[in-house]
Amino acid sequence: MSSLQREKRLLDITGAGSPDSLRRIREEEQNRLGAILSSSPVIELVDDLNELHDSLIGRALQLAEIEMARLGQGAPPVPYAYLLFGSGGRREQTFSSDQDSGLIYDDPQDEAEALTLENYFRTLAQLTVDCLIEIGYPPCEGNVIASNPEWCLSISSWERKLDAWFEEPSWENVRYLLIVADGRLIGGDRELSERWYGRFHRDFLGTPVIARRMMENTLRHKVLVGVFGQLLTERYGELAGSLDIKYGAYIPMVNVFRLLAVHAGIQETSTVGRIRSLETAGILSPDEAKESMDAFGLLLKLRLMAVTKSEDGQWVGTGVLKASDLNREWKLPLKKALKLGRKLQRQVERELRYRFGGR
Amino acid sequence: MVKKSLVALGAMLVLFPTMAFAAEGDGPSAATLDMGLNALWILVAAILVLLMQGGFILLETGSTRMKNAGHVAGKTIFTVGLVSLVYWAVGYGFAFGGDAGESLNKFIGIGNFFFDPTIVAQDGESFPSTIFFVFQLAFAAVSLSIAWGGFAERAKLSVYLIFTLVFGSVIYPIIAHWIWGGGFLAEDGAQDYAGSTVVHLTGAMAALAATILLKPRIGKYNKDGSANEILGHNQVFTSLAVLLLWVGWFGFNAGSAVAVGDGFFGYVAFTTQLGAAGGAVAALLISWLVKGKADIGVTLNGALAGLVAITASCAFVEPWAAVVIGLIAGVLVFFSQMFFEKIKADDPIAAMSVHGAAGIWGTAANGLFATPALVAQVGVGKEGLFYGGGGHQLWVQVESFVICGAFAFVASFIVLWVIKQIIGLRVTEEQEIIGLDLSEHGNYGYPEALKKSGTLNV
Repeated sequence: MSSLQREKRLLDITGAGSPDSLRRIREEEQNRLGAILSSSPVIELVDDLNELHDSLIGRALQLAEIEMARLGQGAPPVPYAYLLFGSGGRREQTFSSDQDSGLIYDDPQDEAEALTLENYFRTLAQLTVDCLIEIGYPPCEGNVIASNPEWCLSISSWERKLDAWFEEPSWENVRYLLIVADGRLIGGDRELSERWYGRFHRDFLGTPVIARRMMENTLRHKVLVGVFGQLLTERYGELAGSLDIKYGAYIPMVNVFRLLAVHAGIQETSTVGRIRSLETAGILSPDEAKESMDAFGLLLKLRLMAVTKSEDGQWVGTGVLKASDLNREWKLPLKKALKLGRKLQRQVERELRYRFGGR
Repeated sequence: MVKKSLVALGAMLVLFPTMAFAAEGDGPSAATLDMGLNALWILVAAILVLLMQGGFILLETGSTRMKNAGHVAGKTIFTVGLVSLVYWAVGYGFAFGGDAGESLNKFIGIGNFFFDPTIVAQDGESFPSTIFFVFQLAFAAVSLSIAWGGFAERAKLSVYLIFTLVFGSVIYPIIAHWIWGGGFLAEDGAQDYAGSTVVHLTGAMAALAATILLKPRIGKYNKDGSANEILGHNQVFTSLAVLLLWVGWFGFNAGSAVAVGDGFFGYVAFTTQLGAAGGAVAALLISWLVKGKADIGVTLNGALAGLVAITASCAFVEPWAAVVIGLIAGVLVFFSQMFFEKIKADDPIAAMSVHGAAGIWGTAANGLFATPALVAQVGVGKEGLFYGGGGHQLWVQVESFVICGAFAFVASFIVLWVIKQIIGLRVTEEQEIIGLDLSEHGNYGYPEALKKSGTLNV
C-alpha cells in the first residue's frame, strides 16, 4: 500500500463522524486486504491491517470524547490512556478480532474528585466500547474490557492491582498478567502508560518466580506436531481433520516470545517486534531470529486464512483449518514452523526448570 | 511335599468325601489324587472365566452412556443364563459329542445332548466331565459377551434372545469343534491354545456382522462423514473391567492346560502376564506418539488385546516372544480402532479391534514363534517360521482364522439378516434417544441421575 493511499485512508477515518461510516471503511479495507492475502508478504499485510484497526479504534475513542462533551460532561478532566490487550496489543488482530482493552486515568486529588473521575471515565469507556461494537468488534468474552470497572482504574489503583497479581500468582492472576503483558497504548497519555508499564516490569523483576508461573500457565497449549513430525488434527466432531492453528500453533509461539521479551525487559508488544528486539539484544542469534520470523509469518498467514466470510457477510474466525485443504507447499513449512515452536517451548521450559527446579 | 499332599488331601475331603472315606485305611491312589487336583484347578479356572462376565458387564457399561447402563449390564446376566441352557441342551453336544461318524466328525460333533454326566470321574479320566462342561460353557459365554459389543446401545432385547439361541447352540460350538473337538482344523494341527480364534475371533465376527446390519448409533457420524466421539459414562468401570478380565484370563489360559500334573499351566500363566503387559504399555505409548495424548481407553484396550493375542500362543512361545506378541497387539488395536471408525463401523467397546484384530494376530503369531520344545510339550501342530518350521504352521494358522472367521461372520450375518427382515434389529429412533433402560425395561439404571419423563438429550 502506498503512503498516499494510506494517508487517504487515515483522512477518511479521521473524517468519519459515525460508527456506521467507520464500519463501511473497515468493510472496504478488509475486503481489499482479504483479496490480496495470498499474494502479499504477510508481515506487511498484518501491519497494514493493524494500522487500520488502530486508526478505527483511535477514531472511536475520539467520537466517544465528542459524545461526552455533547452529553455535557466536558473534556476529560485529567489525562487518561486507553490500552489494547491481547491480539490488539500485539498488533496481530485478524479480520474478526474481539475487543480486549483497559483504561488508566490520572490519580484524583481527593475523594470527591475520585467519584467524578470514576463516573466520567466509566462512561467514556462504555461509549467507546459500544461504538466499537457498532463498528464490528465484539466484546471480549472473558470481560477483559475497558467498560468493565475492574479494567477502568486510576493509575494508583492499577499499580496496586498489578502488585496484588504479582504477589498472589494464582492461575487466574497469572492469566491476567499474561494479558496485560501485551498492553499497548492506543489513545491518550503516553506518560501514564509508561508509568503503568514501568510498574509491571519492576514487579516482574522483583518476582522472578512469575516467569515460571507464566510458562506453566501457557504450557497447556501444546504445539500440534507429533513425535513423527505428523500434524495432530482434531479427531472428532464437525471439525474432525482440521488443525487448530490458533491454539496449536500461533498461541504457543506468541507465549514463548512474550516470555523471552518480558524477561529481557523488551517493551515491544508485537511478536514480530519482540523477535527483532530479541535479536538486537543478542538473545536470539541472527539465524534463530530469521527462522522464528519465517515460522511466525507463516502462522500469521494461516491464522488470517482461518478467518472467512460467512454467508451473511460476517467475518468469522474459527481459528482452525482443514488439514486436507493445505497442500504440500503449505504443509512442509508448517511442520517446520511447528517443530521450531515445540523446540522453543521446550527450551524455555528447560531453562526455567533449571532456574527454579521442577515441581 | 508334605504340605502339598496335605492340601491335596484336604481338597479331596471337601470334594469327594465318600471317595476319601471309601479309601480309608490305605489312602487315595496316586491316580485319584492326580484326577482330584486337576478337577480342583479346572473348576477354579472355570469360576475365573465365569467371573470375566463381571469384566464384560463393567466394560460394556462403562464404555456406553448412562441412559443404557441398566440394560447393558443386566442383559449380560440374562444371556449368560440363556446360553448356559442352550449350551447344555445342544451346544456342548455339537462341540464335543463323540458319536458322529469319522467324516461327519470333521465338521460337527454329535452326542451328549442335554448333557447328563456321571456324578464322579470314571476310571482313567483325568478330570470329571462335569467340570470340563462347566469350563467349556464359561468359554461359550465369553464369546457371546464379546459379540454384544457390536449390538450395544441400539439393538432390541428380543434380538439378544434370538441371537443367543443360535450362537450358543450352533455357531460357537461348530468352531469349537473344528479346533478343539477333533474337527478338521484340529487334524491339521491348528494351534489355538485357549481360543484367540475359537472364542475371541468368533465373538468379534458376530459383533462385526451386527455392526454392519445395525448401522451406527444416532449421533456417531455427521453429515459430512466425520465421526463424533461418544464417550462412555464411566472410565473407572472400564478400568476395573480390564482388571477383572485380566485376572480371569489366568483361568482362561492357564486353565486350558486342563491338568496340574507337571505344572505346565504355570508357564502358560507366566506368558499370559507378559503378553498383557506388553499390550497395555505399547497401546499407551503408541496413542501418545501418534495423537499427542496418552489415551486411557486405548491403553485399556491394549491390555485386553495383549491378552487376546497371547491366548492362542501362551503355551507355544518363549517369554520374549510373548512380550513381542503383546507389544504388537497393543499397537495393532490402536490402528484397528481408527480403521473401523473410518469405515463407519460403530463398535462402542472396540470388540472388533480388541478381539478380532488381536485374535487374528495371536493366532498367526504361533506360525511365527512356536518353538519345537513347547510344541512337543503341548502335542499340537509344528514349530513356527522362526524356529525352522518353514511356512507350514503359519499356513495352518492362517487357514484356521480365515475359515473360522468367515464362518462366524457369514453365519452371524445370515441369522441377524433374517431377524432384521422378520422383526427388525433396532429400537426406534425415539427409544434409542430416550435410552434402552426405559424403552426395554421401564426403569433407568441410574434413576436419580436421569429424569424419567425423558428430556431427549440424555
